[in-house]
Amino acid sequence: MAISLLPDNPGAWTYHRYQDLYAIPREQREKLQLEAVQLNFARMRDRIPALKKLADRQGVERIDKLEDVLPVCFDHRVLKNYPIQIIENRDFPRLTSWLNKLTAHDLTRVDLSGITTIEEWLARLEAFGMLVTYSSGTTGKLSFVPRSLDEFGPWRAHYFNVNHACSGVNPHTTKLPTFFPGYRGGYQTMLKMMSLFNVEMAGGPQHYHTLYDTHIPADLMALSGRMQSAEDKGEIGRLGLDPALLEQRRTMIEQGRRKDQDLGAWFSKMIEQFKGQRVKIGGTFSDLFRVAKAGLDKGKRCEFAPGSVMIGGGGMKGYKDAPADWEDQVKHFFGVKKLGNQYGFSENIGNAPLCESGFFHFLPYTVPLLMDQDGKAMPREGVQKGRLALVDPIPTSYWGGFVSGDEVTMHWEDDCTCGWRGPRAEKTIRRFSEGEGGDDKITCAGSQQAYNEFMEFVAGEYK
Amino acid sequence: MSDSIDIPIVARGVVINPRPEDSVEFKGRGGAAFRSPDPHKHIHELVLGNTALLANLNDTKMQHIIEFLAEVGKRLRLEDNTYLQQSFALALQAGGLAEPVLRGVYDGMPRMFDPRTLTALVDKTIGINYLDGWVPGDGAYSNVRVRAVGTRQLHITAGNVPVVASLTIIRAALTKSDCLIKTPSNDPLTANAIARTMIEVDAGHPVTKHLAVAYWKGGDEFMDSQIVRTSRIDKITAWGGMSSVKHIQKFLSPGIDLTALNPKYSMSMIGREALESEEAMTEAAGGIAVISGFYNQTACANTRVVYVESETDDASLERVVALGRKILAAFQTLPSVISTPAAAANRELEAEMAAVALEDDFYSVGGDTLTGGFVVSRFSDRVEFFDKLNNRVVNLVPVADLLEVVKWCDDTTQTVGIYPESIRDRLLDTFALAGIQRMVPLTGGDPMKIFDDMHTLPPGAPHDGIEPMRRNVRWVIDHRPSEAAVQLSVVAA
Repeated sequence: MAISLLPDNPGAWTYHRYQDLYAIPREQREKLQLEAVQLNFARMRDRIPALKKLADRQGVERIDKLEDVLPVCFDHRVLKNYPIQIIENRDFPRLTSWLNKLTAHDLTRVDLSGITTIEEWLARLEAFGMLVTYSSGTTGKLSFVPRSLDEFGPWRAHYFNVNHACSGVNPHTTKLPTFFPGYRGGYQTMLKMMSLFNVEMAGGPQHYHTLYDTHIPADLMALSGRMQSAEDKGEIGRLGLDPALLEQRRTMIEQGRRKDQDLGAWFSKMIEQFKGQRVKIGGTFSDLFRVAKAGLDKGKRCEFAPGSVMIGGGGMKGYKDAPADWEDQVKHFFGVKKLGNQYGFSENIGNAPLCESGFFHFLPYTVPLLMDQDGKAMPREGVQKGRLALVDPIPTSYWGGFVSGDEVTMHWEDDCTCGWRGPRAEKTIRRFSEGEGGDDKITCAGSQQAYNEFMEFVAGEYK
Repeated sequence: MSDSIDIPIVARGVVINPRPEDSVEFKGRGGAAFRSPDPHKHIHELVLGNTALLANLNDTKMQHIIEFLAEVGKRLRLEDNTYLQQSFALALQAGGLAEPVLRGVYDGMPRMFDPRTLTALVDKTIGINYLDGWVPGDGAYSNVRVRAVGTRQLHITAGNVPVVASLTIIRAALTKSDCLIKTPSNDPLTANAIARTMIEVDAGHPVTKHLAVAYWKGGDEFMDSQIVRTSRIDKITAWGGMSSVKHIQKFLSPGIDLTALNPKYSMSMIGREALESEEAMTEAAGGIAVISGFYNQTACANTRVVYVESETDDASLERVVALGRKILAAFQTLPSVISTPAAAANRELEAEMAAVALEDDFYSVGGDTLTGGFVVSRFSDRVEFFDKLNNRVVNLVPVADLLEVVKWCDDTTQTVGIYPESIRDRLLDTFALAGIQRMVPLTGGDPMKIFDDMHTLPPGAPHDGIEPMRRNVRWVIDHRPSEAAVQLSVVAA
């Protein structure tokens, strides 16, 4: 091993070049990983109340082998296991005491006076030294990642590394004007990372261009379901929401309706303005394909300078019936050589970049494990398909072991043709769901959501 | 089982078996695989393009239809009907019901074909005279006659409880209608078994001649585009809502009447009296165990959320948790024909339960997805995963006043269990307006009696708030010159 890594400080590993990190032979890497996870767990076990409770319940005192960590990995639901009522009532003291069980920081000291919105609450936490971000799933309920400034350095170093690995451009030294066809600011995990890291990589806010200058407030994300049902009943006035929030909601709905036109107009402007310059393009692949398709249909192509790069995400979710050659169309339209991509979850710092051979490679400071349907650890050898858990030994203020809802196919041997070592996941990743088969099983028991979807369908609104 | 099971298409009195040159393989639940003739090659046998061909059924008196069904019903006994034995075996493997429960469901099947029940059912909902002939109006309107005429029906059935298969066949026959059943992958054989039994009784009977049963994969656009046409289908009954209608939606057009028996979600409401004495708590817990546990909580009528009239201070919540423990204990004593422990854990639900169990400020959790369990919300709201509650796990939610529960009710709230009876009248009309479709008692303490009472409805009672049979016939008016009315009334005088 050409570099020196200490197991009691995996955060420091992130400051090395990704090439050097990928070069570590398997035996050394796994030994380091085990030691790092052992030390991290020992440190966090009794400091994080929710982890202590889980570890007590599971009877896990220490980690002897890597698989021992699985029973004490948090299910991803743990980051949103508060009652939604707390959010609806904007009961910030209770929300804070809930979050307090997930962090080593003492949040009882946070000044909560005068707070009326989730955005204000997140800002108050940030002022206290936290870097709490949220993501919202299909249900609209927010999960809060209890990160803090303690993790900022490694988080940033890793993020720069992954960008370098995805794009081939070193963001420490080469600042590229960046287009991101989305929102700006706020605490949603991806947007917060954009503000924290991508703006810097672009060379400053004036070089970081977004479709909109604002973002959807967390409050709107969290309450959208509630607001909709209140509106249906003609009771939205009774929710006691800030009129400004209602106004924002109207604006956002309006903006949503215009998005396709806005996206087209904005990109046309960027394409014109940055002709002949080297740029970086980000966004979801479905949005990027929409732009590419609209452009190609008009017989247009971008004329950025050679060496322009693209880093996208989100797959083609949100785009129905994409053609098989959508990737080629995107490359052709934007004039980029490859589509940089990465895979990970907001709970974990260590996103895995996509290699030349089409695999997501995990860096040594992210320890992947696979579980079978019964939650048992699967062997870490050969090629295995199972539910992914990621253990992140970097955090010192929260517990970084999480079980995802994703099913991945993992290649454990260091034999990728791209030259990078480390366990790697195939590009096709799907939601893990058990006991499948019989894909049109029909039952009469159902839920409100199924019903709503159904009604949308009958009304012809379903896409 | 890795062997593939052959499932023939049964079409109008003929059994079409898969052959090497005419077969497709499907994947069922639980690793089952089955082989059917290629439905694409049999469209014309499945649908009735020519309405004139309904004449034979139209001309058959209801009494003869009922006699025929009753004869078929007598042969639907698991012990000596090989078709049913095969469908039982497959349903056991593919569906979500334990052996004793499924056996109970099958044992109840002949009763559904009891001639008195069938007569009452059709007479109560439509009126036998309207199906057998033209019925004149009263007095001055006697020149206007009305008849309920059979239609061409497509039924996309639910498979969680095999009752749906027999219910569908009965309802279609009693409306003198042509019936095509698209079977679900979680119960591909029950309807098929009944249709084959019919052929054995009388392959030439008009009812047999107007029943077709086939499996094709949901989303098979070719099938849907061929079948869902106004020239071939008049009425569609889709169970399971979204998942079953999703694919045919684009072929729906005016002229095809859709009855969506969409997914339902049921609950119970428990008055504060239940927490006031051990006896009352035990009785309430027993009732909740039955209404949550029967058919192992796979049906739409099963309670998943239990609203309990209680404050949310620690002492009050301790009583709610005690009720939860009693429910858990009552699950263990249910007769196995009603309910059994789950064959396997439900990992998804276990994960949800484990996640909230870490939050004991907000939740108290007991039991598991094998033996049954409960999650007490320590505040007035149901858990967000209420729609995943299964394997005999209920969510107990304290509410200061049961009238508050109305905010969680809508058209998806099918069956509501009530304890004690004294709270019923206070709640009934409000909840009826909010969308619920049935209120049932939980009192008595004897599980079999509670279960039987719950399932004993007069023939022709509404289903999910509607009357499907009335809706599935065509109500035709024969309007004659008004002089005819005068003549008829003179004659009558």
